[in-house]
Amino acid sequence: MQQNNIAIKVKGLSKDFDISESGKGFSGKLKALFRRKRKIITAVDGIDFEIKHGEFVGYVGENGAGKSTTIKMLTGILVPTSGSAEVNGIIPYKERKKNAAKIGVVFGQRTQLWWDLPVRESFDLLRVIFRVSQSDFNSQMKKLDQVLDLNSLMGMPVRKLSLGQRMRCDIAASLVHNPPVLFLDEPTIGLDVLAKESIRNFLAEINREEGTTIILTTHDMNDIEHLCKRLIILEDGKIVYDGETELLKQKFVHEKVLEVEFHDDGNVIHGIPGVTVIREQGCKKWLTFDNDNYGIGEVIGTIASRYKIKDISVNEPSVESIIRNIYNNRVTLATPSEESPTK
Amino acid sequence: MNPKLFLKFVSVSFQKQVTYRFDCFVGIVNGFLYVFIFTSLWKALYSQFDTTVHNGYTLTAIVTYAVMVMAVRISFTMDDSIIYRKVMDGSIAIELVRPTSFFFMNLAENVGNSLFHTMARTAPIVIISIFLFDVSIPFEVIRFLLFVVSCIVGYILVSMMNFIVGLFAFWFIEIFPFLLFKYAFYTFFSGGIVPIDFFPEFLKPLVKLLPFQYMLYFPTTILIGRASLAEAQSIIMAQLIWIVIMGVICSFMWGAGKKKLIIQGG
Ligand SMILES: Nc1ncnc2c1ncn2[C@@H]1O[C@H](COP(=O)(O)OP(=O)(O)OP(=O)(O)O)[C@@H](O)[C@H]1O
Ligand SMILES: [Mg+2]
Repeated sequence: MQQNNIAIKVKGLSKDFDISESGKGFSGKLKALFRRKRKIITAVDGIDFEIKHGEFVGYVGENGAGKSTTIKMLTGILVPTSGSAEVNGIIPYKERKKNAAKIGVVFGQRTQLWWDLPVRESFDLLRVIFRVSQSDFNSQMKKLDQVLDLNSLMGMPVRKLSLGQRMRCDIAASLVHNPPVLFLDEPTIGLDVLAKESIRNFLAEINREEGTTIILTTHDMNDIEHLCKRLIILEDGKIVYDGETELLKQKFVHEKVLEVEFHDDGNVIHGIPGVTVIREQGCKKWLTFDNDNYGIGEVIGTIASRYKIKDISVNEPSVESIIRNIYNNRVTLATPSEESPTK
Repeated sequence: MNPKLFLKFVSVSFQKQVTYRFDCFVGIVNGFLYVFIFTSLWKALYSQFDTTVHNGYTLTAIVTYAVMVMAVRISFTMDDSIIYRKVMDGSIAIELVRPTSFFFMNLAENVGNSLFHTMARTAPIVIISIFLFDVSIPFEVIRFLLFVVSCIVGYILVSMMNFIVGLFAFWFIEIFPFLLFKYAFYTFFSGGIVPIDFFPEFLKPLVKLLPFQYMLYFPTTILIGRASLAEAQSIIMAQLIWIVIMGVICSFMWGAGKKKLIIQGG
């Protein structure tokens, strides 16, 4: 059945928060409760998407775009103001416990482990909570230990772990019951390069080997480029892009960047058709040019004929720079998508 | 909820009390002081009158009541700000992504807490008081068993009350005033200070309509022999009816609160 292939289905999902300024203290709060004029913000504003089993989806957007709020609705913590959501065929905010048994969740900025207990005991509690048999648990822990190197941490109380160590444990903790769907809200926040890399490798592996559906929220575009085939970009609670990460480049970027090192600095570059200088640093200059109207050979030829060049390279724009442009509204997002609803 | 899980969480909460080494000595002294003050007050009061029985209590009976109601109250110690703190720091989010009942997890946490207080405070206070004061308890096994059952049911009622007041945090976040009100109502109307029999007549009909008397007063009257065994059984029946009523309120509040809940901090 095709229906079975859908891991997450979201339709018109919205969440409003009441942020009416309440007065100081208790009486102020009471008054605010009965006040008619309310200040409401729409954190998530009528989003739709479907995610198939086995997908690895990046869920990005600026601070306050509504990413965490979406994840909280999909994990059954928050009840949507309107719209609907289904995860593994379960409505999370109606059947929270049933849903919780079939998902894994990591909130980067808080731990799901017990602060006072040694890591080992936290895992043991999770085993009982998720009703995992001892033998399944043992084999799962063995697997997790191989990649995340947990054994050395098992005896430590959670509060003594470093951020990176804690994150490894937290990710493992979300997988104790081997859930088919995994929600990760900034799991690489505050980690060093190596720790990030090992976590990335691990996530890629479980997505590949176990077919775990993963929804990843992050501000690190390297995470996205390495891991997520599909990207959903959220802005002010609305989806502004939903498609392949690779396609994003083709759709939104009509510029390439040339990194040119000249023999001597002080060269003033101008008058080359289609070219603008975006950055200068000594003899090095970064130029963009209109990729649609000018050929790359043409541009390089013109530059080389006018100036003495030491080195030249062509950079593909990174997903990061594209997304930065989207956030900055430098790229218009009249989404060329076919599915956009006609009014 | 699965009993094994429940017990696990009772033990986690118990251990937490042990590790943070709640200051046992202070706790015992504080509890004992209360017992001492109340028994002294009763003695002083009774010595003012010629009659030896007031509202059905002899001096021995009222002293026994004062000691035992305090013992039960100390055993029922629970942290009523748990839910508030979980809402305040947003850690409630973590609990909600687990396939466990929030109510029962909360109950388990309370039980662990109370077990600790029972062992570390109630036990020594009762033992000391029995030696120091004129305490008289009828020794009947069945009575004691009925007392234990009544205490368990009463305890669940207290836990439900705290759950309901704690859930106000879903609407208000800051609920300290509610907790204060609750504390006052609970301590007074449950007979925690003075047995219900001593309440002024105009208060008695109100007390009958409230669940508080089933939390401390009635279990204590079973223990000290003021309730006959037959009465004890109907007390427990009435307590169970209150469990149902409070249970309905809990689940109604939970259903409504879920929609109001917001998570602080990311
Ligand atoms: N508890 C709350 N009370 C009021 N408003 C809230 C609350 N939580 C979130 N919001 C608001 O909802 C909007 C979306 O927040 P959300 O946490 O979903 O953003 P986000 O995309 O996860 O951002 P970030 O990248 O900073 O984590 C923000 O405007 C935020 O102020
Ligand atoms: Mg967030």
